[in-house]
Amino acid sequence: MRLLLIEDNERFAALLKQGLAASGFTVDVLTTAAEATAALQTSRCDVVILDLGLPDADGLEVLTGMRDRSDATPVLILTARGSLKDRVSGLQSGADDYLVKPFALEELVARLQALLRRPGNLLGLALRLGNVTLDTIARQVFVGEAPIAFSAREVAVLEHLLRRSGRVVAKTLLESSLYGQSQEVGSNAVEVYVHRLRRHLAEIGASVQVHTVRGVGYMIAEGAA
Amino acid sequence: MTRTRSVVGRTIALHLVAIFVTAVVMPLALYLMLRRAADDLHENALRQQATELVPLIEREPDGNFQMHLPTRLEELYSPDYARYSYSVGDPDGRVLLSSFADGHSVTHAPPRMDRTVTFSGWYDGVHVFGISMPVEIAGRKLWIEVSQDLAHRDVLIDDIVTDFFTRVGWITVPILLLLLAIDVAIIRRAIKPIVAASALAERIGPERTDLRVPEDGLPREILPLVHAVNHAFDRLEEGFRIQREFTADAAHELRTPLAILRTQIDMIGDRELAGSLRADVENMSRLVNQLLEIAELETIEIVAGETADLVAVSTEIAAFIAPLALSRNKTVAVSGAPRPVLVPGHADMIGRAVRNLVENALAHTPAGTTVEIDVDPNGTLRVGDSGPGVPVADRDQIFRRFWRRNRRRPGSAGLGLAIVSQIAKMHGATIRVTDNPGGGAMFVLEFPAVIAPVREPQPEVMAAK
Repeated sequence: MRLLLIEDNERFAALLKQGLAASGFTVDVLTTAAEATAALQTSRCDVVILDLGLPDADGLEVLTGMRDRSDATPVLILTARGSLKDRVSGLQSGADDYLVKPFALEELVARLQALLRRPGNLLGLALRLGNVTLDTIARQVFVGEAPIAFSAREVAVLEHLLRRSGRVVAKTLLESSLYGQSQEVGSNAVEVYVHRLRRHLAEIGASVQVHTVRGVGYMIAEGAA
Repeated sequence: MTRTRSVVGRTIALHLVAIFVTAVVMPLALYLMLRRAADDLHENALRQQATELVPLIEREPDGNFQMHLPTRLEELYSPDYARYSYSVGDPDGRVLLSSFADGHSVTHAPPRMDRTVTFSGWYDGVHVFGISMPVEIAGRKLWIEVSQDLAHRDVLIDDIVTDFFTRVGWITVPILLLLLAIDVAIIRRAIKPIVAASALAERIGPERTDLRVPEDGLPREILPLVHAVNHAFDRLEEGFRIQREFTADAAHELRTPLAILRTQIDMIGDRELAGSLRADVENMSRLVNQLLEIAELETIEIVAGETADLVAVSTEIAAFIAPLALSRNKTVAVSGAPRPVLVPGHADMIGRAVRNLVENALAHTPAGTTVEIDVDPNGTLRVGDSGPGVPVADRDQIFRRFWRRNRRRPGSAGLGLAIVSQIAKMHGATIRVTDNPGGGAMFVLEFPAVIAPVREPQPEVMAAK
């Protein structure tokens, strides 16, 4: 996967390139807004990582230029500007994600992968965490290489959790996606399915764990089930 | 002697002195002027009377003088009417003619022949005003005295003068009092904008440095003072701004080097070393973020009518922090109101307060325990942990900036709770710490009011963080 990193701090850019390469990304580095705009018009990439404090222009200008040209390439803003106003204006300008420095390389990788999985993006048909893989087209779960039979609703819950692995998925979101908002849902239906899924994952020796955040939702993470 | 500092008080005091002086001096002066005018009138009248009498005096062949009064004058000078009297004498002091029955002169005294004089005094038990003037009749130098009884019922002028003090003079007092009342009203009116300006100036503080004392409608005399005060505020605001910007810039500039450091650490093969270095960088990053947060807080204004749902805010913060908590084998939970609890305020600010409370609780609660966020429908939010709790003696200081109970404990600059306290203050809310019934500390954030929800709550969709 090809990333365009627009970052004027060359030392940081070099480090990031090295770190991302370890996760399987090919990174091109540009240091000015002018270079970035020119490159984006001639060649394509999968994700753009954009710093806002560029020497020749505000990084947001690069972003608005892309969106004005109907360039829908996902953009992740990576900046030292972390105020609420900055985040809102970044997302309103058409950014897909916003990460404030400093950050964990792991988090950047996770977010880049999430961007690549977004609907409309042909990549990311398979969701992976630990030794669990979910083929979102065939609705098939694998542990290691072995296909395991899961109920449709268990798969639905698992897909939601895997799409946002490492983050909490609201219980209300699971409820509405399981049944549709019009249908009456038993108040503990989600709890029942999550409980079944958790037991099932443990039985088959999956290296993932579904955590409960009471009053909020659920989160799937790597760890002994 | 203590002097009143109130302008109105001073005006009243000075005015009372002025009234007292004026009430005495003005009628007195008027009285004297009236008196003088009355005397002039009398003198003229008497001179006229005397002049009228002169051609009526004739020298008889026997050498004696005779007065031939017409009837009109005879009545005036008759003892019965008793208003006017006259006498004519010669330079030797002999009385030649007199309106008095016994023939004495008006003043009972020798005449003055050199010039015309007026006199007043009591003669024969009557208060008289008179004139004595020299005349020449039939070649002889004589003197004529004419007087009138001032107490006579037909003499009006003196009544007016005498009555002036008792009746008319007192009118000055109410007039002066009315003037005083008008003056007080005028001063009050002039001071009103000053009172309004003072009320506004009261609100100026570190949180509101943009306000200025309005100069419209202020008396020109105190404008220089207000100008000077406003300029002082300009300089103060500038000072605050510079300090705020310095904090923000410094923190901001630290982020990129921290990001470089962090990325390098993430690429270290030695997991143990990387882990401990990472914890250090995380602490530094947290401090930088909190400094920026404090700088940012001071620029945020809560717009009237803005509301925040405490349940949504708590759920969002719990979802945001849960991964970190779970990685440390701790967890967070939200309990209490199932429906939105709306309070007036800035949702993002309140979220930061809750996040700081939860982060603080997570730092103190032991592994395997839960940090509980409880939202009461009455607008109270509680964050409870199972840590050691906060000793009663520390409960007030804990919200001060850079305060730490144990200065050796790494990873805390003592800013989190200060941020919570500041956000609470911005919302008119209170923050305090008590004991968690199950052991540990319980932070209570109490909002002054809740807003009744206008519609049924929508199923909430969590925003990606």
